[in-house]
Order: sequence, then structure tokens, then C-alpha cells
Amino acid sequence: MKVLVVNNAAPFQRGGAEELADHLVRRLNATPGVQSELVRVPFTWEPAERLIEEMLISKGMRLYNVDRVIGLKFPAYLIPHHEKVLWLLHQFRQAYDLSEAGQSHLDFDETGRTVKAAIKAADNDCFAQCRKIWCNSPVTQSRLMKFNGVASEVLYPPLNDGELFTGGEYGDYVFAGGRVAAGKRQHLLIEALALLPGSLRLVIAGPPENQVYADRLTRLVEDLDLKDRVDLRFGFHPREDIARWANGALVCAYLPFDEDSVGYVTMEAFAAGKAVLTVTDSGGLLEIVSADTGAVAEPTPQALAQALERLTSDKARAISLGAAARDLWRDKNVTWEATVRRLLD
Amino acid sequence: MRIVLLSSIVPFINGGARFIVEWLEEKLVEAGHQVERFYLPFTDDPNEILHQIAAWRLIDLTQWCDRVICFRPPAYVVDHPNKVLWFIHHIRTFYDLWDTPYRGMPDDAHHRAIRDNLRALDTRAIAESRAVFTNSQVVADRLKTFNGLDATPLYPPVYQPERFIHTGYGDEIVAISRLEPHKRQALMIEAMQYVKTGVKLRLAGTASSPDYGRQLLKMVDDLGLRDRVILEDRWISEDEKAHMLKEALAVAYLPKDEDSYGYPSLEGAHARKAIVTTTDSGGVLELVEHGRNGLISEPDPRALAEQFDRLHADKRGVAEMGTASLNRLAEMKIDWSTVVDRLTA
Repeated sequence: MKVLVVNNAAPFQRGGAEELADHLVRRLNATPGVQSELVRVPFTWEPAERLIEEMLISKGMRLYNVDRVIGLKFPAYLIPHHEKVLWLLHQFRQAYDLSEAGQSHLDFDETGRTVKAAIKAADNDCFAQCRKIWCNSPVTQSRLMKFNGVASEVLYPPLNDGELFTGGEYGDYVFAGGRVAAGKRQHLLIEALALLPGSLRLVIAGPPENQVYADRLTRLVEDLDLKDRVDLRFGFHPREDIARWANGALVCAYLPFDEDSVGYVTMEAFAAGKAVLTVTDSGGLLEIVSADTGAVAEPTPQALAQALERLTSDKARAISLGAAARDLWRDKNVTWEATVRRLLD
Repeated sequence: MRIVLLSSIVPFINGGARFIVEWLEEKLVEAGHQVERFYLPFTDDPNEILHQIAAWRLIDLTQWCDRVICFRPPAYVVDHPNKVLWFIHHIRTFYDLWDTPYRGMPDDAHHRAIRDNLRALDTRAIAESRAVFTNSQVVADRLKTFNGLDATPLYPPVYQPERFIHTGYGDEIVAISRLEPHKRQALMIEAMQYVKTGVKLRLAGTASSPDYGRQLLKMVDDLGLRDRVILEDRWISEDEKAHMLKEALAVAYLPKDEDSYGYPSLEGAHARKAIVTTTDSGGVLELVEHGRNGLISEPDPRALAEQFDRLHADKRGVAEMGTASLNRLAEMKIDWSTVVDRLTA
């Protein structure tokens, strides 16, 4: 079976979706009887009317010598094919939930609103013709139902290198991996730690979204006199290093705002058998993070400090919550074998 | 500079048209450029081509990069103020093959309208380019004839030419390429009936069909040439290729009317071998000068046999022509630094 994976692409930019697409193709190619290739369609989303042309580009493409298409992102998934499945990483959010939240560039004027309607019409038309629609998370799934009235099933993206997250010792630190950004709220963790006496440490490791936020964290650590307890490791780290930090942590923490999906950081922690601390407005994480597998606190330093205290003061409890997290994740059977089987179904 | 490489593909079909893009990508990166490569699907079904090209025409890469280098049709229709073409071929059925048995569609009003539209839009889009290079003089001439546009040949080098070395001149004339009718291995086999010296012929490569491979083998047997002709119908690795060439007497490459000089000729030249070709081989004649760096024969078995004998009888001449063959590459500036310089100028 010849399987073409289609994704959009902002030239010279790479992120999680690009990694996922590459990995999906590798896994498909490793499947007996399957050949796979990735097509990336360059995508420009501004100004608003540009989006009409972008949709026409993908709709105007024709495929030959392809048995199955797996579409990941708008508008690349509009490429016509009679055997198309979607694995929606997210829709074009400016036309849907971000618009509803008043954060869309498509609501400034009549043109924007017309474009928004056109996106919805093209999406609905495409969804109706798909063989099957999978979503990467319950959040994506419920948005798809809410805005388009389209039913789908959840198919979590597995870790690309799950074998690295073996677990290990339960050390004396909280590990907070992932992109370092205001939206991921690492500053709240530092502020929470300042409210806790004792020797608990915090390791923050990941690429900063911008220097301003990185500087803010550095200053915060100095101002709160936490240099001995907070280890700021800004930058892209080898995956082995990320895994080492996660595997040796007492618990992990991840505080994104309204994340679409469970998040790789959460999956890595669960795979490594670590309880996860998150916040009530973290979105997709709440599917798996609860008092049974970690803690969910209000996004304030005080609430987070309390939750951290409860999670970390009793090591046996941290270990048992971590074990529950690992079991829960294992039971979901989020593996590449199962994922590929379903996408080719 | 930020450079986008754009070409069209048929998914799951690999070949020379992709290699040239990927080799260039490597060389541009080595030269310090940021490079992003996009392959988009395209089918040349006459009734599908115009609206597909309309979709490609909507692609606007202006904000993403400093330059776009375009390869296969219809990549050159994209919008960018600095697009440079390395034009490999037209959609030939609508151009030079129109008045041949290879047109593959009726010569009626409908298809003529498609043809004329295609030619007009090609002319217009190609004329927008900052520079137009072709892979051969033959293709440059065609652009002049059909589109009235001037273009400069920019000869594609082989990948890692340093692999090809020279250790001496043995008895074998070596021809490594796909075994297929228009590459005329059959003509070479027929010629071997008439040779009078101890010259041998080695034909190596994958047959276009198993049937054709068997047919050639049978021909060798039927003509009683097994002691003089070695035929290997299989994939030849790059290492094996270099090994076969290093002791060769000369190389032979005599396709019927090909656009470009062909990689087999270049590989031979890098291994310091004279190149045997024929008067109707097209682009190869841009490279080979009779008696200087090779021999040009009539496409006739007896005439070809004479040239084979001439090479075998004159080892000193072979050495001189072999050296001239290598020098000819420098004279024509067939090297990657020339390619990179011109495409980024």
C-alpha cells in the first residue's frame, strides 16, 4: 500500500507537528507491505484573504500512484483523494475556537468573516468525504464536534522515542521540560518553590521561546534567592538528556495554558512513571492528569506550592502516583504499532 | 541566503529528477545557505494539467525566502521576485513530442487548446524568472524554439565525482545504465559480431523489464558472443560502478536522441575514459568531440565495431583521449561550485 502523508509547512520552521509527520512516515515505511512518503505544502496564512488561495492550492492538487492519504493539518488535508483519512493535529484554530475566544485575525472585518465561513465550508466538505477522522486529543475531538458537528475518534500520537523513558530513581527534584514560554508558565513553578521551605529542587530545561522570558526567569530566580534550588537549562537538549532528567525526577510539572492535547512532556513523564503536577486550565492534560496520577492546582503560586508540598513530602506517595500514571498510560496502548494499524484500517 | 528548492513529483517514483534537486540541496548547504526543499505532486494527465498549474500559480513564497530555485514543470509558475530556473524539460508531450507517436493523446481541437494554453502560460511564467538555466543545449534550444526564450546550459555534475578513479586501460568497453531499447545495448551487442581485435564489452544495469533483460542475454548467446560480451542485468551500486570503470578501455553511451549528455558519460570522463557515442545521441554530442575525448560513430553495428577496434588497437590514443575526457569537464565547467555560483548569483 502506498501511503502519502500530507501536512502543511511554514518554510524554515520546525516543531512538534513536523517531527510527528516525519516519524509517522518512518513507522509506516517500517510496516511490511507499506511504502510511505511525506508531502509538505507550503502554507502562508496572512493576510486573511490569502487563506482562500491556500485552500485552492491544496484542492487543486491531483494525486496519482497513491492508495491512501493521511492528512494532518489544514489546508494540506484538502488534497482530494478517494481513500483519505485524517489524523487531525488541529484545525485552523483562527476560524474556530480562537475566533470564539476573540483571538483571531479573521474577526477584524467583513473579509475575515467571509474567509472564516469559506474555511468552515471547505472543512465540512472535506470531512464528509473522508474515510475516517482521528483526532490527536479529546480537545481536538470535541472542537470538531462543536464547530463542525463531525464525529471522530481519539488517536494519541505516541512518543517518538518512548524507549528512552524507562523511569529510574526518584530524586530530590521536580522536572519541568518542554518549551520555555510565558504560555507554559514556568515562572509560576519558581514562585511556588519560593513558598516552600526545604531542599526540594526544580530543573527547568527546554528551548526558550524568546530571550525576554528567559531573562525574566533568570531574574526571578535571583530575586527570590533560589539559585541553589533552581537549575535553568535553556536550549535544545539531546533527547537522551531530557530522558535522564525525567527518569531521575521525583515528580514532573507541566503548566501549559489550554493545551490541545495531552502533550509530549506529560506522556514522557507518565512513561517514566512520574506523577505530574499541572493546573486547572491546562486543557488536554486533564484527560490523564488527576489526583490519581499527580495533582491539578489552580494556576497561582500559593496553590501550586501546596500541591507540590503534598506531592513531594511523602516519597512513597509520589512513587505510587507515578506508578498509577505509568499504568494508566500503558493501558491506553498508545504505541506506534497500534497507531499505524488504525490509520491503515 | 534562504533558498527554497521547488519541484514536482509523482509520489513513490524516484529517479534522476529528484537526485539533481537533492544533490544541489547538499551543495547549497555546504556553501552556507539555508535550504528548504518542497516536492509537490503533479500528474500530466492532459485533462488535469491546467487546473493543477492554476493551483501551483497561487503559491506565493515571497515572504519565506530570498530565492526560489525551480526544477520540473510546473514549479516555475510560483510567485517569487527572485526565482531561478534549472529547467530540465518541458511537459514534452505538448512540445517536441507532439508531432511524434509519443504524443499519447488525440491531435484534436480540445487537446490543441490545452497545448496552446500550456505553451502560453509556460512562456509567461518562465519569462518572469531572474535567470533560466537548462541541463543541456538541447533543452535550451527547445526553450528558444517553442517559447522564444533564451536560456543558458548549466551542466549537472555527478554526485561525488571523486569516487571515480583511473588505474589503467584494459580490454573492456564499459556501458553502465538501465538496459532499455533507447539506450541501445542491442546495437552494441550486434557490433561485437564484427570486431577484429580483442576488445570486450561489459553491459551492466537493471533491465527496464525482466523480459528485455532475457532478450539481450539471448542475443549474446545466439550471436555466439559469450566470450566477448559480459551482460549483467542487475542494480549496480556506486562502488561497483567505480570499480568497473577504473580499468576500462573506454565507456560507451549511445542513447537514441537524449536531451542531456547523461551521467554514464560524465562518470566515464571522471575515470579518464574516452566516450564512444553515436551521431544521433543528442546531448552526448555536446560533450564528446570525435577523436579528441571520444569517438562518434554512425548508429550502425559495423561502424561501431570499427570504432571499438580503433580504441583497442591504439592504447596510447586511448590514454590521450581519456585525459582529454577529464579535461573536457573542466572546459565545460561541469562541477558543483559552478552550479552553486550560478544558481545563487
